[in-house]
Amino acid sequence: MSLEHLPRLPQRLVEMLLQNFGAPEWLVLIAGFLVAASTVVGVFAGGFALLSLVERKTLARAQNRIGPNRAGWFGILQPVADGIKMLTKEDIVPAKAEKILHLLAPIMIVVPAILALGVIPYGREWIPVPLELGLLFFFAVGAMTEVSIFMAGWASGSKFPMLGAMRAISQMVSYELPLMICALGVVMVSGTLSLPDIVDRQGGFHLGFIPAWNLFTPWGLVAGLLFYVCSIAEANRCPFDLPEGESEIVAGHMTEYSGFKYALFFMGEYLGLFAISGLGITLFLGGWQAPLPGLDFVPTWIWFFAKLCTVIFSFLWIRATFPRVRIDQLMRFAWLCMIPMALLTLPAAAIWHFAGRGLLSWVVTVPLLLIPWVIITVIYNKRLAPTLRTYRFAE
Amino acid sequence: MIPLLILTPLILLAALGAVWKARPVHAALLLALTLALNAILYLVLGADFIGLIQFMVYVGAVAVLIVFSLLITRPGDEAEEIARRPRSLVTGLACSLPVLAVLLFMVSRFETAGSAATDARSVSIEQLGTTLFTTHAPAVMAVGVLLTAVMIGAALFAREPGKKTPTPSDS
Repeated sequence: MSLEHLPRLPQRLVEMLLQNFGAPEWLVLIAGFLVAASTVVGVFAGGFALLSLVERKTLARAQNRIGPNRAGWFGILQPVADGIKMLTKEDIVPAKAEKILHLLAPIMIVVPAILALGVIPYGREWIPVPLELGLLFFFAVGAMTEVSIFMAGWASGSKFPMLGAMRAISQMVSYELPLMICALGVVMVSGTLSLPDIVDRQGGFHLGFIPAWNLFTPWGLVAGLLFYVCSIAEANRCPFDLPEGESEIVAGHMTEYSGFKYALFFMGEYLGLFAISGLGITLFLGGWQAPLPGLDFVPTWIWFFAKLCTVIFSFLWIRATFPRVRIDQLMRFAWLCMIPMALLTLPAAAIWHFAGRGLLSWVVTVPLLLIPWVIITVIYNKRLAPTLRTYRFAE
Repeated sequence: MIPLLILTPLILLAALGAVWKARPVHAALLLALTLALNAILYLVLGADFIGLIQFMVYVGAVAVLIVFSLLITRPGDEAEEIARRPRSLVTGLACSLPVLAVLLFMVSRFETAGSAATDARSVSIEQLGTTLFTTHAPAVMAVGVLLTAVMIGAALFAREPGKKTPTPSDS
């Protein structure tokens, strides 16, 4: 058993142990799935704890601060301290809240994130649930997030959560559209909805060293970049963190939550971030494929997590760099820029699929995408860009 | 069989709740539950693609529906709604009973035709797409027209009767 199989080791061990004791087959199957699921949950719960520290450290570095440095060596125990604080805090439910929905919302935000993490292929041998319709499953459970955010906002019975929920829904619905259209291009070219198969189609190298990832095609580059922007919006992260903009509406839908429920919201958000980044890597960055030939001796899941760390770090960098956009800018950007460009990736992907990867496809698809991009940029900058606002009472 | 026996009463209960609840948000959330349970029913029956599509489209759509139900209705509407209930019951039954009759008729005809019940698992997405956009293309287009009509109808309902809708520039 090599390092490649390491993440599956707990599952194999439990299965072998149960078979040794003569357990029936269905029990072995269920126990195996349970252990596989706990591996994923364990890895990403650990990742969540680590990310909460890394994020604070990175932001501190970007803002010329030190960041958390009291708990343990370089603040390494900070997530533990945070966890203890969250668990021991008083759980407050507002008097006007709708009790059941208020309790259900934080749970319903974590569940879809974990479900979505279950279908992503992390390595050649590490695919927790190899679903045939994996991509569809991912988006289907993702649809639940909007409803649960809305439940949180509505059930709190207070105005700031309500405003945050309304913002969240309009934002997530608008950005889900280009997100799915971008993923559709990959489905068209790969001819399958199964995520492991999509990764397999991206294996190999062009000219001996350029990986055959979808990102290195004209339509894939556009779709991948759009997907990247949309995934920031879907994960409610800066600069698209309007639903919980602290300086405007306290904490949006999480305003009336405290203690462990508040922590659950954060967990759901970070797990969702891992899931959507993992999907982007699977669709455009070749999943667990190595970036250069001759690197096959490294276990494939290490490549996946290296890519994941890079993508997540870029999210942190963006958060440290960009200011929050306004709601009208956000919606205008989605409907006037993102969706037209996303729609154009579909014919480009179709040409790529039918004409092959030859010179002809490049000659046709590059202008097809480049010219509209220039036009949209020019129009947006000239006519539709938000004008400078003057405030009557603030002069 | 057992999953069906558990699921169908749940679906019925959720659907009744969706109709009965006076608060629009509760009704919409129960509608989401009904549709999600329906999706699970499809998954149990082996129609994975339809089940997941049902979940994706309808649960997401309900989120939008909730927003609109909040934008269109006012807090005072609930008492009115309850007072209107007997009349609504009659109208609702008058609308839904013919639909139920047609459905029952179709289902009974299908059963007596004795066609070999094809396993949903054996139908690939490709076949599904091909039949949808060739054999059933008129039906798909009709549904598109219907949805547009529904959208216009909703816009009409949302407008206050006999009152010009204020635009942001007026205020």
